[in-house]
Amino acid sequence: MNDEMTVEAEIRRYSPGEDAGPRYERYVVTGAGNMRVLDVIRRIYATSAGDLAFQFACRIGRCGTCAVKVNGVPVLACQERCVPRMRIEPLTPFPVIRDLVIDRTEIEERYARLALTPAPPAAGAAQPLPMDPGLAERIGHLDSCLACMICVSACPAVAERPFDGPAFMLKLGYMHKHPANDQDRVDSAMESGLLECFGCDACTQLCPADLSPAQEIRELRRDAVLGARSRS
Amino acid sequence: MSAEQAFKVEAAYDIIIAGSGAAGMRAAIEAHDRGARVALLAKGPPRANHTRMSGGRYNAVSGQNPADSTGAFLGDTLDSGCHINNHHMARALAEEAMDRAYDLESYGLAWDRKEDRRYVLTMTGGGSFVRTIGSVDEGIGITEVMLHQLYKRRIPVLGFHMLVEVAQADDGHACGALALDMAAGMWRYFPCKAVIIATGGTSQLYETSSGPVINTGDGIAIALRAGARLVDIEFMQFIPISFVYPPSARGYTLTEPAHYGMRHYDPNADAAHLLNNQGERFVLKHDPVRREGSTRDVLARAIMLEILEGRGTPEGGVLMVPDPRVFESFLKERPIYVKRLLENYGEDQARFQKPIQVMPSALYTLGGVQVDAWCRSSVPGLFVSGEAAGGVHGANRLGGSSMPDIQVFGRRAGMAAAEHAAQRSEPDASGVKHALARVQALEAPLRRDGGLRPCELKQRIQKLMWDNVGLVRSEKSLTSTLTAFSALREQSLAQLFVTGKTRILNREWMEVMELENMLDIGEAMATASLLRTETRGAHYRTDYPESDPHWRANICVDKVRGRMLAARQEVVGIEAAREPAVAVGR
Repeated sequence: MNDEMTVEAEIRRYSPGEDAGPRYERYVVTGAGNMRVLDVIRRIYATSAGDLAFQFACRIGRCGTCAVKVNGVPVLACQERCVPRMRIEPLTPFPVIRDLVIDRTEIEERYARLALTPAPPAAGAAQPLPMDPGLAERIGHLDSCLACMICVSACPAVAERPFDGPAFMLKLGYMHKHPANDQDRVDSAMESGLLECFGCDACTQLCPADLSPAQEIRELRRDAVLGARSRS
Repeated sequence: MSAEQAFKVEAAYDIIIAGSGAAGMRAAIEAHDRGARVALLAKGPPRANHTRMSGGRYNAVSGQNPADSTGAFLGDTLDSGCHINNHHMARALAEEAMDRAYDLESYGLAWDRKEDRRYVLTMTGGGSFVRTIGSVDEGIGITEVMLHQLYKRRIPVLGFHMLVEVAQADDGHACGALALDMAAGMWRYFPCKAVIIATGGTSQLYETSSGPVINTGDGIAIALRAGARLVDIEFMQFIPISFVYPPSARGYTLTEPAHYGMRHYDPNADAAHLLNNQGERFVLKHDPVRREGSTRDVLARAIMLEILEGRGTPEGGVLMVPDPRVFESFLKERPIYVKRLLENYGEDQARFQKPIQVMPSALYTLGGVQVDAWCRSSVPGLFVSGEAAGGVHGANRLGGSSMPDIQVFGRRAGMAAAEHAAQRSEPDASGVKHALARVQALEAPLRRDGGLRPCELKQRIQKLMWDNVGLVRSEKSLTSTLTAFSALREQSLAQLFVTGKTRILNREWMEVMELENMLDIGEAMATASLLRTETRGAHYRTDYPESDPHWRANICVDKVRGRMLAARQEVVGIEAAREPAVAVGR
């Protein structure tokens, strides 16, 4: 852990409304061999680019707000190990507020439209919701989605077709399995482009929370095509 | 663009809530459901909050361990807090935690269970009964299900809005909130009838910390400057076991189940042994009875003393010897942490087969704004809940008690603020003039062309706090820090400048505003620490290493004409502790 590495980073700089167009600025950073992309960005900010706009909060892969593209691949900056040459860009296909920070307003509106809440309990029902322990664990895993948008950024179907993206399908899958769900989540998934997925699995390969949106998409499709009765 | 051009008076709300963690979200849900018009300000994107980083372990008396009781939970809370907790608050926590856990389940969270209606119960630091529930999605799941409840209610969640000031009417009532909308580069003034501060703690005051980068004590400092009183601010909780490397992860908590080993399930079992570089179980010197199962304050201090006295590892930690027998259950319960161990330390450590390097780290601000059990501060119309409030935990906090704290008191703040708002007349723009004057002052760094960079001052404060107002304190270290702070305040604050002059997402500009808050809270912490001439809970004085019965009391801090005034105060509601505890009606 005491070895060092030197990284050459090109960062996309752009202030919409202030700059004529984006530019790439080059920085050289030397640090610990196991440093992460976020360490490089923070060092650049601290030493040579005090005007750099970037976003992070938890630095440990939980808030999901530091996602960027490194050499074209969407990653969490706080978790991604460095390579010697890195082109660091904001996550696509989202609007940029400035430099590496994207505007998540539309993303949050999309979540809100999906109404990702279970049916409210009967008044005064202060007791555990009956739930199979295995199902509780499964639901819990699905609800640990970071909403980082890495899977949406990486999804080729999102780029080409009317598809909201894997993260939203995963959330619908979570609600579809929830014992207090009272809405037709398969229907919502269909409206959000469930059938547009190419099945390439890029979402699952890149998920920093080790979740499988692809599996949720498959299960929602199965229920869409065969009906919920196909499940044993 | 001039300050006036960048200043907008927004539509009035009944209640403005600052903070997007669970305390703020729970307050928003409750106030909305009681008829109030509310908006929630988040300093970053709404998911950038401390709750999300939590392991999500939640102390509550579920009735599923027949040996446990509300009285026992209250007793553990008071014992852990060294009996200076606000007893009314501690009682409310013990009585209401479980109902709030059911609320979370109704929002969509799935607590870990072993049967359809039976939860998995475990132990946490300082607890004497198996009572803690949890879920595999940890703090992430808690914040997710709550955020969607806000969306369902169409409560505006305004991201990148940093609260900078609470405006007050002539009668002293909170009457507005001034925020910088960093995404738009606009000042926004929200006339309102009540403000709830739920902006979290101050862990960023320290060089090594476990919390998110946004926790710079903003709301606590804003409340202090508005005339609210602080309590217990000398007590900072350090988590004993956090990652030592890599740099990005240094200080992040390693989660207690890894440390607890078999004790996670059995109060009589041993926790993982902690060894110094000579292979010595040094905790035995500090707590021969509870050993490594001791409270967080004792363990953190014991580890820090080993490191300071030269018996740590070259990287600045000590060694924890995990119990491989609990690996399978740990992997099932806490897969995220196994992954972190694997990435940061290696496979042997991730499998609990080799010692793991650990160090203490600033985790949780035990003190904060003094409030009553309904989250009312000493400023009318200003409510505070969650980590920004002080009192419920006293001098030290049980592991697993911050999650119920923010649910119980988030809800109470929402209830009390809604009730307050219902009795107030429609807000006017009386705070605008004052807000504009404040804006002019806050714009000064944008106009300065040279001087001190905010990150340099931040590092100085963090080092002073870590070295002198951290785990190990003395009159000498505290006095020298107060002197250093007054020099920084006089010389450095006015020299701060920002590199880029853009108003949009100008991180340096945000840091300038954070620094004023950090200096205020750092000074309040050092002042209270100097007055407390004893050792209690998380506060350890090398020159006063024993507890003193005289100090079974709280210290309050006011800021009066620019000076921090600290004073002793009797513990609130101590008579309540003598009444038998009863469970609330279900």
